[in-house]
Amino acid sequence: MAARDEERLALAEQVRQSLAIENALTRPQARAYVRCLQSTWQVPTIAWAEHESAGQLNDARRLLHAAHIFSVIEGAESPRAIDCYRRTGEILEWLSRAEDGTRHIVPIELLAAGAYQLGGLPAMAAGLLDQVESEHDGVRLYASFLRADLDDAVRRAGRFWRRHPDLTSTDADSAILAAMRGGDEAPGVMWAVTVELVRCVGLIADSIRRGDDVRLARALEKLHALDELAHRMFSHDAALVISLMRQVADRYASASIFNPMRRLAALRPERSGRLLRYARDQFSRGRGILWTSQLHGIERLLHTSSFALCTPTGSGKTLVANLALIKELLLRDHDDGLGPLALYIVPSRALAGEVEAKLSSELRGDVIVTGLYGGADWGITDVWLTSEEPVVLIVTVEKADALLRYLGSILLTRLTLLIIDEAHQVVPEANEATAVSFSDHSNRSLRLENLVSRILARRPDVTRIALTAVAGGASGPVARWIEGDPDADAVGVRYRSTRQVIGVLETSPGTSGQILLDLMNGKPLYLKGQENPVYLPLRYEAMPQLPSQWRNSLNRFNSLTVLWTALHLAREDQRILISVAQEPEQTMRWFKEALELDAWDAIVDFEPPGARLGERFEEACAACRDYCGPDSFELFLLERGIATSHGQMPQRLRRLMVEMIDKKICPITVATATLTEGVNLPFDLIFLTSLKRRSWDPVEEEPVVIPYTTAEFRNLAGRAGRPGASRGIEGMTLVALPLRPSTTANGPRPTQQRQLREWADEYDKLRQQLLAEEQELGGAESPLALLLNRIWEKARDVLGITPDAFMDWLEKTAPGDVSADAGAGATGARARIADAMDELDSVLLTAIAESEEGSAAPMDRARAEAEMRELWARTFTAVAREQEDWLESAFIRRGAGIVEHLYPDADERLRLYHYGFTPVIGRRFEAVAEKIRALLADATEYGDLSAKDRIDIFEAIGNLLEGDKGFGFRVRATIGDQAILDQWNDVLGWWMAEPGARAPEADDLRVWQRFVADNLEYRLGVAVGAVVAKAWSDGAPDATTTPMLGEWKQTAGLPWFGFWARELLRWGTHDPFVAFCLSQGLAQTREAAAQRRPAFETWLDDEIDDVVAEDRIDPQHFQQWQTSLARHEPDAPEQESIDARLTGTDGRNRRYAVVAVRDGDDTRWLDPAGFELAVSKAQTPSGSRLFRSDFELRTAGNRAGVVRVFRPA
Amino acid sequence: MHDCPPPKAALASWLKAYGTVEGGNYGHLLLEQQAESDDTLLSALRPYFESAHLDAREHFHRKIGISLHPDSAATTTVNYPSCLPTKALRGLFGEAMAGLVTEAYQDEFVGGHVWQVPIFLFREHDDVEKYLWALRYDPERVREIYGRHGTDFVAISLNNDREVVRVIAGEAKWRKSLTESTVAALLLGPKVRNEETGVLAHTGKGIWYELNRDTAIPHGLRQLQFVLEQRDREGHADIILSIDRAVLNLGPPPERTDLVIICGNGAAKRERADPLIAWEQPPSEYRAGRDLQIVEVILERGDVLIDALYASLWSTP
Repeated sequence: MAARDEERLALAEQVRQSLAIENALTRPQARAYVRCLQSTWQVPTIAWAEHESAGQLNDARRLLHAAHIFSVIEGAESPRAIDCYRRTGEILEWLSRAEDGTRHIVPIELLAAGAYQLGGLPAMAAGLLDQVESEHDGVRLYASFLRADLDDAVRRAGRFWRRHPDLTSTDADSAILAAMRGGDEAPGVMWAVTVELVRCVGLIADSIRRGDDVRLARALEKLHALDELAHRMFSHDAALVISLMRQVADRYASASIFNPMRRLAALRPERSGRLLRYARDQFSRGRGILWTSQLHGIERLLHTSSFALCTPTGSGKTLVANLALIKELLLRDHDDGLGPLALYIVPSRALAGEVEAKLSSELRGDVIVTGLYGGADWGITDVWLTSEEPVVLIVTVEKADALLRYLGSILLTRLTLLIIDEAHQVVPEANEATAVSFSDHSNRSLRLENLVSRILARRPDVTRIALTAVAGGASGPVARWIEGDPDADAVGVRYRSTRQVIGVLETSPGTSGQILLDLMNGKPLYLKGQENPVYLPLRYEAMPQLPSQWRNSLNRFNSLTVLWTALHLAREDQRILISVAQEPEQTMRWFKEALELDAWDAIVDFEPPGARLGERFEEACAACRDYCGPDSFELFLLERGIATSHGQMPQRLRRLMVEMIDKKICPITVATATLTEGVNLPFDLIFLTSLKRRSWDPVEEEPVVIPYTTAEFRNLAGRAGRPGASRGIEGMTLVALPLRPSTTANGPRPTQQRQLREWADEYDKLRQQLLAEEQELGGAESPLALLLNRIWEKARDVLGITPDAFMDWLEKTAPGDVSADAGAGATGARARIADAMDELDSVLLTAIAESEEGSAAPMDRARAEAEMRELWARTFTAVAREQEDWLESAFIRRGAGIVEHLYPDADERLRLYHYGFTPVIGRRFEAVAEKIRALLADATEYGDLSAKDRIDIFEAIGNLLEGDKGFGFRVRATIGDQAILDQWNDVLGWWMAEPGARAPEADDLRVWQRFVADNLEYRLGVAVGAVVAKAWSDGAPDATTTPMLGEWKQTAGLPWFGFWARELLRWGTHDPFVAFCLSQGLAQTREAAAQRRPAFETWLDDEIDDVVAEDRIDPQHFQQWQTSLARHEPDAPEQESIDARLTGTDGRNRRYAVVAVRDGDDTRWLDPAGFELAVSKAQTPSGSRLFRSDFELRTAGNRAGVVRVFRPA
Repeated sequence: MHDCPPPKAALASWLKAYGTVEGGNYGHLLLEQQAESDDTLLSALRPYFESAHLDAREHFHRKIGISLHPDSAATTTVNYPSCLPTKALRGLFGEAMAGLVTEAYQDEFVGGHVWQVPIFLFREHDDVEKYLWALRYDPERVREIYGRHGTDFVAISLNNDREVVRVIAGEAKWRKSLTESTVAALLLGPKVRNEETGVLAHTGKGIWYELNRDTAIPHGLRQLQFVLEQRDREGHADIILSIDRAVLNLGPPPERTDLVIICGNGAAKRERADPLIAWEQPPSEYRAGRDLQIVEVILERGDVLIDALYASLWSTP
């Protein structure tokens, strides 16, 4: 360290401590931010004096200087420098957005963007620069560069050269020197420096995206020289901008995706061409410059294999996953035969769709990407099973579990890479709801833990990567679990990629309401009791008085005020999510009824989009009409630009709704929390209309109130203001709270008064918890520990088991011994204990059966204990935190008990394992399974049956399930739900599109949908799936048999109906052809799919002589028919070569990177640094936005031509 | 690095000095040419001017000629600063004179501080406004895009620990003929016609305006530090640290003296010893409230001197 550097660092540290602690604002900074928000919202701002602006600007300069000291002494990656850069960016951003006068004195937006880039917050740089549009070409060019929009920088530089053709000649090379030699009237040195700067920016932007390191190095060298010159000759601010651009350029160069791709290519040089194309493609998607967290992840990826990556949402986890896929699937040597396979586990079906779309678009051609979240376990999508190509399977935990049960051997043999997205979901909440979910067999954390532990136990060598957005408590344990190393730590960085503001929308009858700003990134924006609360008063006209019946419900008033506000905000181009805690159909009805009033209709400012987006919108409307009906709330709202989504919505419609949001077609969304689980959607603002869910406990006969957990709230709030997605820089999450009763009648007033107090208390409590949790970073809860603890505590409290007796009791006691209601979804205390034990047994029995299936050796106590010990060591629970020893002992004892006392018959264990139910339920199911199988086997004429007869078969199967509360139909204990259960065949008829079937009223739609989702799709589907899978397994010669359509019927011993039954339940159709068309995207609605059937029948008649019933639903015929439709696309786009005449080069380098600049009918081919190299007369390349493509001028002798070497997807 | 002492003896015979300090905080120094600008004078000035331009020259020579043409691998040679157009040379001369005068006449300056110029920044910020932000070569452009220029010139005064305790910063201007109206335009801004009244009046955006609104710590100090860091971080560790302290606003800030130096040929009507700016008290338009030093350098055929001087730099063995 140089002399006095320690003292310099100490000075810089003083400034950092006083101004730049992450997420902690000084009071003046908080004031500046509040003023910024108020200005953005165009409401009166807090009092603010000019000297305060000067003070902030001065602070920003001091921080920049401190950052400079840190980075000179500690290096560019100095975390302390990064702190200072970030706060600099923030301070300047807040001045800029407050339209502060300093904007006209100092280029604060450019400085802010540069500081954000160097602070590792590129999305903030882009977010700010998106909001300001300068009239000056130079400012625009530098802004494009500083927001890493390299395509736009190339475009803007090109415009400059088009306007200044005199500067593009070869002898313009040394413009600075020419200017110096010129007379007094020459433009002068500064103009020349400016020209050279444009050359640098253009060349750097183009070289980085092409991965041309040689030219990049020279351009950077020149930019460094200009930077040093600027410090001597320019005003301080101009020099600062150039200096920041130089540092940002250095950062781009070192953070280019080409660097890791080249290192990856070293593993397999013959693939380097493909890898470099991938890198170039990432640039065209705006992802070529890697984020800090990505760099960390990729560094690990290059050096080791398994790791956990912890990085904020929106900072590009998927890219790290992609590179892992490339490395493990494409670059490693694999044995001949079937291609390697990666399992990509996602928490929800919605997320599976998103991941599938992303991966397919980027890896197409190299890898088969298959999402198994919605389709059959195998069947239409079976190509992956037999492919020699590498395969990525995107699956939910449930689907992965089902695959393991039936295709475990095939899957695990090929498995090369395991990616677990949103891996923090393995951490459960330690609360009553979690405890109950064990007994309900619905706990997702346990499922995830169990699945991954089993895979790791059987394939400890497989490479695995955990992706998680949540830092803090969970990341360490998740890393230890994934790496299998007690000292492992998560890779990544802990910071928020966006700014999150939490506050209150205060609603009050007769007023427009106001927004109370409370927390910013977890810290209070004003000091309670010392400072005035910070408000954004809304300026829209107040909501008209509601009809008396409406306003007698405070909830309805509150929800409608939110809609009223949202409709106004949508007019300002804000994207809004109205998050509903429960019963979305009620909110939807309220909204529909309000929008039927004239005053409301008048403020709906929604025009359906045109062109391609219009087609997508039409498709969504059609699907909505199809699945929800023409009079549904969903369709009514969608036609007014309001998307809806909830967990019971049919999958296809849900995906279309997500698309409406994602493509920004619908500015407003009404949804329950299922919408946002892990899915990236662009919202600026989220409103919550309630902070709790209520239900009714029929046993205790009392309401159950479950408040939002902070984790739920955080997850939701994390969806607001996603980087690069939304218009605003910050995401706001606002809880709507009424200030006064909405009723004007005396009767409801006391109730409303009480509600006001309750709701305010709930918010205060949440706020306190959020603040408290900002400080906490403890260990993590774990599913098995919670389950075992629950069993122990209830055994002690309810059954009176003593500590000494517990282990023995646990080993020998069957759930049925604890409660006769075991496995029936009963809610009594003893039944809950029995069901929790059954859940534990499911975990243990699954592991034991899998082990038995893979080895002929007999399972005895000793082996069971050894294997349970091994499995325990692979669980998340074992690494989550210091565990008490008894947990492991209890786990092992119960495992031994399964083998010795509870399920001693190995054949039965295997059958129960294959069914997939918990063992108690599975035993009961066994009796029904044979009957279901018989029904399936009899359906040989299904292809020729009428709709009614077809649906009768489903009904017959359903009748077998109806009575059982374990595997059978289950509804909530409400009168409405019970009524549905009594008429479930009506629901079945409606869902399966039986002609003339009764449809639900709009009000009942969601109850029907819930029944479909819970019971027809899920329970009936699972039962049928279990029977069919078992039939196939029984017929398969051994565990490694690969299912193939050709042999499917013979192996399973079932007609094609067995193959289709579950698919039909999923798509809501009795016709396999319709399910096929929908799954393959050959039709948008069920009706449209059905309309294609005649064409298929004609084709079938031509192809086959004697068409029998089975031919009409044979998936192989469907596929052949589909193939006959396919048009043949040319394999590769023709490579256009455009003749060119050399004008500014002798062609000595043979290949030159060029950009196209149109000049009338001609095209001038310019080097990215602005030198004209060649001209094509009366020829232009096809397409618009040519600046996004890469062109190359190629010379051979005296011939020259230009070829497009990259075209964005 | 600039390390050449000022040629005091040559200056003494070339220029007659009339120095005053009034009220303890207003210095006025009139330097009036009293002898021919002959070869002897040129020989005496040359080492100082070469020293002043050395940093920029090295920089230009090493890096600015880097060509970005794809066929070109070479770096074009430059001869800085002689290669510059005459107008630019006059600007440079003004700034170099500011350093020369500050170092040579510090006894005559307000406060009597010991000044040194470790490195000359030759700044041309006016043009930056026109080109850098707008990307247009538009000499007519009047409206500013970002309106803050900072000062032309910076020198420092060190204590025994080589810490910066005082800064002198300000404007150095060359004008061929120092008429009253030329000087007024410099100090008060150019005259423009009021669109409503039709009356010509100064814009008010001249040297006084810039000085009045400039920060107590001139931004040029930060740039000076940057160049020192690049050139010799170890050798200037004490100065660099004390500038950190000043820029970061930690510890007592260095004092500041404002400097205005106007060079040029005396106007035809000018009498000997006539000042252009009153020496008795600081001008009323100056409101920064710091120590102020005015220097008037009145030459005869100064432009001939400038051309000869710059032609001689690095040309004589």
